[in-house]
Amino acid sequence: MKRALCLLALSLGLAHAQRAPAGVLTIRFLDVGQGDAILITSPEGKSVLYDGGRSESRMRELIRQYDVPSLDLIAASHGDADHITGLIPAAALFKPRFLLNNGVAATTQTWAKLTNILKLAGTQGLPARNQVLNLGSVRLTVLPPPAGMPAGDQNLNSVGLIVQYGSFRALLTGDSETEQTRAWLRTLPGGTLGPVDVYKSIHHGAANGDSAAWLAAVQPRNVVVSVGPNNYGHPTSTALNLYRKVGAAVFRTDLQGTVTVTVQPGGAYRITTEKGAATPAAVPVKPAPTPAPVVPAAPANVTYPNCAAVRAAGKSPLLRGQPGYSSKLDRDGDGRACE
Amino acid sequence: MPTEDAPDDLMPHPSFVTVDGLEGRLARVELPDGTTEDWPLASLPPGVKEGDVIRLTVHGGDLEAEIDHAQTHERLTAAQADTDALNAGAPTGDVDL
Repeated sequence: MKRALCLLALSLGLAHAQRAPAGVLTIRFLDVGQGDAILITSPEGKSVLYDGGRSESRMRELIRQYDVPSLDLIAASHGDADHITGLIPAAALFKPRFLLNNGVAATTQTWAKLTNILKLAGTQGLPARNQVLNLGSVRLTVLPPPAGMPAGDQNLNSVGLIVQYGSFRALLTGDSETEQTRAWLRTLPGGTLGPVDVYKSIHHGAANGDSAAWLAAVQPRNVVVSVGPNNYGHPTSTALNLYRKVGAAVFRTDLQGTVTVTVQPGGAYRITTEKGAATPAAVPVKPAPTPAPVVPAAPANVTYPNCAAVRAAGKSPLLRGQPGYSSKLDRDGDGRACE
Repeated sequence: MPTEDAPDDLMPHPSFVTVDGLEGRLARVELPDGTTEDWPLASLPPGVKEGDVIRLTVHGGDLEAEIDHAQTHERLTAAQADTDALNAGAPTGDVDL
């Protein structure tokens, strides 16, 4: 009887498995509770897991739910448990070729367990350096921690990743705090960062992560806050207000479950959520019962009759050069329309 | 936090936790079973840092916490050696996954 129930559960699980479709880039901001885990699958079916969240069992569930067949690389943005614990079952199951990491060891048992499993798996460590990783046709640009970060501080040594496919760009920077982002702003060549179509909120929306100066360079159109129930006050009103000020649509895994970005060849994209829709920053939202596709990709020739239409599309402010920008929407001529 | 009224004989002597991260006035600590809990920073020794191994002992019903610098150093040295070994021979330049 127990065996029959197990088989039934297994078959139901498989029936609901949602493997990333071929031919498109799929980025899933996995609902791992308080923590980060981002699954990136190329149009060719190659996958990277950037962080794994805080729970081994939750990651096993997600691997089944999304029918992940393999992982070519796992990345530890840094060594904190809410980012690396879920990498342990992923490493054991898939024996990935590479572990991207910041080179800064943690003293926890969790870090020791992860490195032991990777050693047994024959995985090659990749200490973050200025390097491009080609995930099939998707370009992953590694942002190593800037020189001079305190060696013992994991957050300040977070490894960043820029995901590019056609004109689409996403940016992930772990739990980097303002000291690190200031150093990146000083040292990265102009144009490295933004504008970014999808951006992962730093440090689950902590007050010591995103800043106005950093977001001015990143220019995020959509922000995903990977967060769950916590005692830290994440996401903070400080961070949510910053996202509102730059006009980004905000998605939260605590309210909307896993957030999925699907990118077509060329770069047009759409964002869907398990539940609910994009929210204006700092406004509490009750989750809606049905999944709803949101933020359809803007074609290159899109035009907006007025700023109300821009805001309704979640695109304000429109920057000069972005689809839909026009001087009539930018009365002060500063390159930012519908501010 | 460990329950304050736990009998002394229920806590191994000593017991160790590791500071996984500091979050404002809280410290996320890794317990001996590998799970994490949030403890008030004020309950830990002054000056505690991420990565510190904390030795917990019970004396007369009072829980005492002190940074075990030797064990912290020992663990960090071992973990860094393992990490360096994992990263040894990493390819440079672009990598095709």
